[in-house]
Amino acid sequence: MNAEAKKPNKIKVDSAPKKKKKIASLEKKKARVGYLFVLPFIIGLVIIYLPMIFQSINYSFHQIEQIRGGGGIRLIPVGFDNYREALFDDPSYVQTLLAGIGRILFDVPAIVIFSLFMAILLNQDMAGRGLFRAIFFIPVIISTGLISDIDAGNILMQNAGSSIDTGTGTNSVAQIVDVMDVEMLFSNMKVGSELVTYVVGLVNDIFNIVNRSGVQMLIFLAGLQSISPAIYESCEIDGATGWETFWKITFPMISPMILVNAIYSVIDALTRSDNVVMSYIEGVYNKPDGPTLTSAMSWIYFLIVFLLIALVSAVISAYVFYQRRDT
Amino acid sequence: MDATKKAPKVKKDSKDKIKVEFEGQLSAWERFRLKVFSMYFVKNVLVRICTYILLVGVSYIIIYPFISKLASSIMCREDFVDVTVMLISKNPTLDTYKAIIVDNRYFEAMLNTALLSGSCALIQMFVTCLIGYGFAKFRFRGNGFLFLFVIVTMVVPHSTLHLAMFMKFRYFDVFGIIKFLGGGVFEAVKILPFTEIDFTNGYVPFILLSITGLGFKNGLYIFLFRQFFRGVPDELEESAYIDGAGTFRTFVQIILPLSVSMLVTVFMFAFSWQWTDKYYTGVFFTSVTKAPYTLRDIIKIPRSLDTDYAGGNMYAAAINNTCGIMIIAPLIFIYCFAQKQLVQGIERSGITG
Repeated sequence: MNAEAKKPNKIKVDSAPKKKKKIASLEKKKARVGYLFVLPFIIGLVIIYLPMIFQSINYSFHQIEQIRGGGGIRLIPVGFDNYREALFDDPSYVQTLLAGIGRILFDVPAIVIFSLFMAILLNQDMAGRGLFRAIFFIPVIISTGLISDIDAGNILMQNAGSSIDTGTGTNSVAQIVDVMDVEMLFSNMKVGSELVTYVVGLVNDIFNIVNRSGVQMLIFLAGLQSISPAIYESCEIDGATGWETFWKITFPMISPMILVNAIYSVIDALTRSDNVVMSYIEGVYNKPDGPTLTSAMSWIYFLIVFLLIALVSAVISAYVFYQRRDT
Repeated sequence: MDATKKAPKVKKDSKDKIKVEFEGQLSAWERFRLKVFSMYFVKNVLVRICTYILLVGVSYIIIYPFISKLASSIMCREDFVDVTVMLISKNPTLDTYKAIIVDNRYFEAMLNTALLSGSCALIQMFVTCLIGYGFAKFRFRGNGFLFLFVIVTMVVPHSTLHLAMFMKFRYFDVFGIIKFLGGGVFEAVKILPFTEIDFTNGYVPFILLSITGLGFKNGLYIFLFRQFFRGVPDELEESAYIDGAGTFRTFVQIILPLSVSMLVTVFMFAFSWQWTDKYYTGVFFTSVTKAPYTLRDIIKIPRSLDTDYAGGNMYAAAINNTCGIMIIAPLIFIYCFAQKQLVQGIERSGITG
């Protein structure tokens, strides 16, 4: 503390330009304190995270051989063999990868739109709002990890056919909306068959979508709360309808959140453990030669993830409206 | 005279309510009629009804699985082969719960997991708060570049680091320093009696990852805190600096009390996601005998329950679901108390992309 306090004194202040210099050094000092705050992360990055990343890349170019007796392992360099095996030899990796990415392109828009819609509903003033919010955020804390594992097991069980619902939600949805009805509805409306299949898929998948849009809903709610009520009031005075207000005010104001949510949904969908690619890779891990092959597979996957996220953020940020704020 | 007649009369003047009565106002029925038989009112009612139907419907989708899981958890063995039983058991029994508690050592697992999740969540809450504050309020060199790494930790899939993470903590070493001290260049001088430390099958990896802000989904927490602190006006801290408080004192005395709801939110996330985590426990707890007995180990058929009969599959699924219910029961309990703070924390974060 003392040493820090003395430092500014070294630069003697006696004229105006030098005073300016002193302010700059204070700023610098403050900035240096910033390093202290992020120090844990820097240490972790240098000691744990980056070595792990390099190690993992390294593994993807090697094969592991167990040394008998000592229990140690030896790495044999094999070049791009792991990558070749993943892409060309493995019968189902590429298919799983394509299926997984297709799934994401399918799910993410649905999740974002659904969570925006629900956040707008939950943002209204009405009786029982607290209760509904509490219910809607239950999936955020619960439907992860172990529980989604158990549910995945149940889905397998249900394909075998059962009378008692074991509680995965798929049955319940089927009871609410019969898929056939939706198809009838849409074919009467004469829209493209792609849209029909998309919507039917969404209806079937509603349980999944509801469960995965909790965090997104929270983020949208936060965004909606930050829009000044005065804007809505002036719209009302000018005679704008709710529909107009939504597209002219709510939508532009919330567009940064749409970007955040789209990226979050993509990340979440790509890295959650019930993702087909992730579970496939986890499955490969336990085979002989699995660990290194897994590294190669995951790095291919990571590259695609990264490109996808860059693409999504590039496309959406072109349409994002930033309110000018004086910071 | 006229002026006084037309002026509203203040009828009741309590602490925060004033009831005003106007002269010559319409009768109650007239007012009611005007209010109800207008397009505006009808439209509003219709919109409200639609809203409620939608909300109740979606709530039903969320809650229904829990109801059916609960229902199947108290079913007895015979109910699963009985075609007439759909949701409500004919002879409700708590045998499944008893078996899980006794055979699968539920309370032991819960205590271990509570210890792990509690300590992880506490550490992660404070550490990510610090880091987020650092990223939000200080313009040091490399701020943006470092934050990019936070994003990277969010984006890299777990499985990418599975082996590397295990090896890192199985043979823990910092740039070969421990190896050097333990059996390095001078054969005679061995400062440490070992060349590497085995941290697996213990809590150490979790604590280390939490302290360095690399734990489960910590990137998201850092991001949330950063957004939150960006919304806190700089003037607050500046006034504290002028009053002579240092950076850390300002942080502890001004910033932390402001961010209680955000802290609760992150604690809730960290606690519950660590509670149901299977990935990190799967990486670090490799040995069945040496690893702490946690909640992921109770998902199995208890010994005393016999599932070898016609309804076996269903029964096994119901038992697994009961395990799930018992795993999340403590979380639900905590959620009931924390949910208000959770929503507030997010709402006040002022996330703006």
